[in-house]
Amino acid sequence: MQKQKIAIVSLTSCEGCQFALLDLGQKFLDLMNEVEMVDFRLLEDEEDAGEKLDIGIVEGNPTTEENIETLKKLRERSKFLVVLGNCAAMGGVPEIKNYQEQKNTIKHVYKYVQGIDNPEVKEVDNFVKVDFTFPGCPITGEEFLKYFPELLEGKIPTIPDQPVCVECKKRGNRCLLLDKKPCFGPMIQGGCDAVCPTSKMMCQGCRGLRPTANVKAMRATLKNFMTDEEFENTTEIFGLRDDIEEKNNK
Amino acid sequence: MQIKLNHINKIEGHAGFMASVLSGDVKSAKIEVKEGIRLIEGILVGRHYTDMPIVAQRICGICPVVHNLTSIKSIENAMGVRVSNEAVNLRKLLELGQIIHSHCLHLFFLSLADFLDIDNDLKLVEKYPEETQKAIKLREYGMEIVKIIGGRVVHPLTNEVGGFKKVPKIEEVQKLIKQGEEALSTAFEVAEFFKGIKLPRFERETEYVCMDARGEYAIYDGDLISNKGLHIPVLKFEKNFHEFQRPKEVIKRVESDGKTSYMVGAIARVNNHHKKLNPKAKQYLDSLGFSLPDYNPFHNVLYQMVEVVHSIEESLRMLRLLINSNLENALTKKYEVREGSGAAAVEAPRGTLYYHVDIDSKGYVKNVNIISPTAQFLSHLEDDIRKYLPEILNLSDKDKEKKMRAFIRAYDPCISCAVH
Repeated sequence: MQKQKIAIVSLTSCEGCQFALLDLGQKFLDLMNEVEMVDFRLLEDEEDAGEKLDIGIVEGNPTTEENIETLKKLRERSKFLVVLGNCAAMGGVPEIKNYQEQKNTIKHVYKYVQGIDNPEVKEVDNFVKVDFTFPGCPITGEEFLKYFPELLEGKIPTIPDQPVCVECKKRGNRCLLLDKKPCFGPMIQGGCDAVCPTSKMMCQGCRGLRPTANVKAMRATLKNFMTDEEFENTTEIFGLRDDIEEKNNK
Repeated sequence: MQIKLNHINKIEGHAGFMASVLSGDVKSAKIEVKEGIRLIEGILVGRHYTDMPIVAQRICGICPVVHNLTSIKSIENAMGVRVSNEAVNLRKLLELGQIIHSHCLHLFFLSLADFLDIDNDLKLVEKYPEETQKAIKLREYGMEIVKIIGGRVVHPLTNEVGGFKKVPKIEEVQKLIKQGEEALSTAFEVAEFFKGIKLPRFERETEYVCMDARGEYAIYDGDLISNKGLHIPVLKFEKNFHEFQRPKEVIKRVESDGKTSYMVGAIARVNNHHKKLNPKAKQYLDSLGFSLPDYNPFHNVLYQMVEVVHSIEESLRMLRLLINSNLENALTKKYEVREGSGAAAVEAPRGTLYYHVDIDSKGYVKNVNIISPTAQFLSHLEDDIRKYLPEILNLSDKDKEKKMRAFIRAYDPCISCAVH
């Protein structure tokens, strides 16, 4: 059987999701042996001839003209377009800018702002159709290994609609909410093995709302240990705020 | 004649290169940064200090640990927060783990193929299966340190202002020691392999800057020193090293006293502190037969190897210390939120990372400045290339391009860090 053609492309980001893949070590190399890697800049120097792809994988925000062009070209040549991580899927930490007065944000950083692309941060699906999302900041390597073979078979996987709490309990963690500490776990899509609460760090929602999330109930619970302002600020970190607003407006 | 590289692969981030040469003279040589802006310093303004490490470490997916450490240290310095020795030791270990896995990635997967004339790592892996296994094993030790102490490799979770949310169990520390002992013997084998790599010749005398602390090969604390006699506290960093932006450039540059470029990173640290290396690392360095000071930036690759050996030795020493200490002491202690300004520096894999932060009385960030190693060595890299290009003008266009890519990659630039 002919090997499927894959490309991994990065837009504006920390590239941490690609490293989450590389960090899988031998498991990642084994997976790469099963496919034909047409473009993966981190590991190869060869020119990408621009051929058709079975799966185009993209990480990061499209924040420059060049990024947008790269993204559109990747969509055109890919049967499936798969996004990696919170920046591409939800805007990531750079989206905090959208909630500030944008012109001032850049002035804190640059003296000369002319000629620098500084658009509002928008998720990848505002530009192209997305077939599947590996959520998280960064993505969970093991989750990639779990679902990527399905994509290779031409199927679009479904991540079960369950909160972070399910895995959190499985790991034997004491619930942060019981200790009157804030945590977004109940409304957030699981699949990360509850890596944050396991480190006694609250879930800040980098994997996004789960389809049946009850935001109102979550807010009511959190009112006891978080002000509205703190809640809103925290939802800004991983681009959750606009998703919650959208859900409220529905 | 124009030499243009549209995109330099196998570096962290997006950059190209452009040079023009007229009858043997290099008229211009410029790294063209193609990274989009994220405005991390800007988005932190007005946010609570507790968000700062979480947001700032997302500047970089290879070296989030050092952004986490430096941002936390700058906040602690601003608010006058002191942490326990155990917390400092855990942080040092995090940074050692960071250096080990970042260097191994660069050494083996980003740079090595350049010196074996291979253009794709999947081919490299096929041709050198044993070495690949060993390199992966070394990386995994560095990653495991970060995972056990930090909770996760990319974007660690446990470290915070005042200490740690969670500390490792003694059994986990014991496991790391065992893994470290194995990694050390693997490191000798990988190091021997790298000794056989032929690196191009080149030399340009320069200033090497890094941190310095009494009695140790400084990575987490200390003053800034150089081989040209510089010795300043971290607080004076911005007085001595001037950060500036050229119109239309998204990357800022840094020059010593506003005029001269300088070098940071493994090559700078080993040159300045080779006497402070751990025994096995020192032994390996001696076996390389370089006469120090060494001004060949290609050798940065081998100095990273020296640091991998050193860092594994150092991590073992520190892990053994931890076994006999009460790790609970590293847990976050109560502290007071106070108005203040703080600066901090930590040796990142690629060189000194500097943070400055101003915090108001309620704990909100008023101002942040972050100066990355790559921003510091960008001008130095271009100055080096201006000298290097005339030495390779006789090569074919294709070979010239290859050499340029290898040269730039030997520096191990991190463009995401530099632009942030």
